[in-house]
Amino acid sequence: MIYLDHHATTPVDARVLETMLPFFTEKFGNAASRQHRWGWDASDAVEQARKQIAALIGAGSKDIVFTSGATEANNLAIKGLARATEGTERADVRRDHIVTIATEHQAVLDPIGRLHRQGWRVTVVPVESDGLVDVKLLDDAITERTLLVSVMTANNEIGVLQPIRAIADAAHAKGALLHTDAVQAIGKVPFDVGALDVDFASISAHKVYGPKGVGALYVRRRRDIKIAAEIDGGGHERGMRSGTLNVPGIVGFGRAADIAREEMPAESKRVAALRDRLLERLKAATDGLSVNGAMPPRLPGNLNVSFAGIDGEALLVSLDDIAVSSGAACTQAEPSHVLTALGLPKERALASLRFGIGRSTTVEDVDYAAEKISSVVARLRQMSPV
Amino acid sequence: MRYSDAVLKRVRELKRVGSLEGEHVGTGEVGTLDDGTVMRIQVRRDGDRITEARFKVFGCSAAIASASLVAEWLEGATMDEARALTPERIVQTLDLAPERAHVARLAVDAARKAVADGGRPKAEGGMNDSDH
Repeated sequence: MIYLDHHATTPVDARVLETMLPFFTEKFGNAASRQHRWGWDASDAVEQARKQIAALIGAGSKDIVFTSGATEANNLAIKGLARATEGTERADVRRDHIVTIATEHQAVLDPIGRLHRQGWRVTVVPVESDGLVDVKLLDDAITERTLLVSVMTANNEIGVLQPIRAIADAAHAKGALLHTDAVQAIGKVPFDVGALDVDFASISAHKVYGPKGVGALYVRRRRDIKIAAEIDGGGHERGMRSGTLNVPGIVGFGRAADIAREEMPAESKRVAALRDRLLERLKAATDGLSVNGAMPPRLPGNLNVSFAGIDGEALLVSLDDIAVSSGAACTQAEPSHVLTALGLPKERALASLRFGIGRSTTVEDVDYAAEKISSVVARLRQMSPV
Repeated sequence: MRYSDAVLKRVRELKRVGSLEGEHVGTGEVGTLDDGTVMRIQVRRDGDRITEARFKVFGCSAAIASASLVAEWLEGATMDEARALTPERIVQTLDLAPERAHVARLAVDAARKAVADGGRPKAEGGMNDSDH
């Protein structure tokens, strides 16, 4: 079985697991226990991890708020900012408007959708056929009443990288703040909150060979940036997210961030070469193949292609020893909202495969996948009566 | 979406895929590309019995498995047995989820059309006789 679905999740790196293990057993302390060695050890380990994670994204360690994952981080940034701002003014204006883009993950679209139902005004800006947002169009959507602009750094389906710095400039010029869901980007491409000038960034451990169930929100420390907690309790994480910290998970996230930062320059080149090889081999063996989304700018490990003349779900089911994901389902199902936002016709959106190449992927894996997929595509086309 | 082993086996070990030519061949084609499924079933008839059945499908794995199952059932069946096929039997045999049940109906419709078409004395026009 070959795993080519690293956008969904990644295995915990052996080095990460090794670092985590003592924190389940002998170092089991609560990081909030101030009176004894167990608590101090746990607290020291959490602060060390905070530094490691901050270093990966160019932040200060005090800017990192630990959460249960990127979904919670997105909710905290979007709803937390909305709730903290409601009824007040920002940059001398009452702000009741949020701007986002059509290809965002559900973990951004849904919290914004909830705010919309509660009376917030929302603009969802479309993307171009290559999946990138036109900054001019986005700029036009931002007004003096816009509180927040939320645009993902890298798309989870098509891997395209949005022009975050230009979007930050457009938002800030009108007094709005910028949140970015950076979950697919960190550890894969350079991501620096300072250089990109973002105010909030959501990140997660399990996409970078860390454990599931831990993530973080970067919150720029500035007097005019305040968010209301979604979870109240003991006032952990400077009051922004209460609850006993997931010490083993956080320690693992820290180690995973460290490894990603050290290995990214070489690893992203290796992964990109494998991705390019996969595409070349598929193209050579299969007619009617099209790439979905811009290339570049794209994550090194992402490939998203459509095959003309076949049903994507039948393709996926026939790939019994390759784990990939598909924009497809059976008839009457709706295709992926991301591929639809690119303007793809339904049949092309349904006949798509997403590949996520990662740390464990080898040349042999890629060659095998290309050969298997090409032969299944040929068989399905032969089977078609049309 | 998880599938039953019965569906997976049929999709991965394809049997009776193809076309039939010659005399006493009946063709039933149903569905449209717009709806996402096109299914064609062909039968060769010898007297009251179906001696051969073949299928072609554009569609999802449930559609492929349904057409494959129907082709298997049709081979060796009498005309009456063929007409007695029901979508419920396909759903049950393949353990199809309710939202996939429509493809079982398509397979039965294609089979009935093929059998009705093959009932004519001569059917060399069968290949082009499909309903679009």
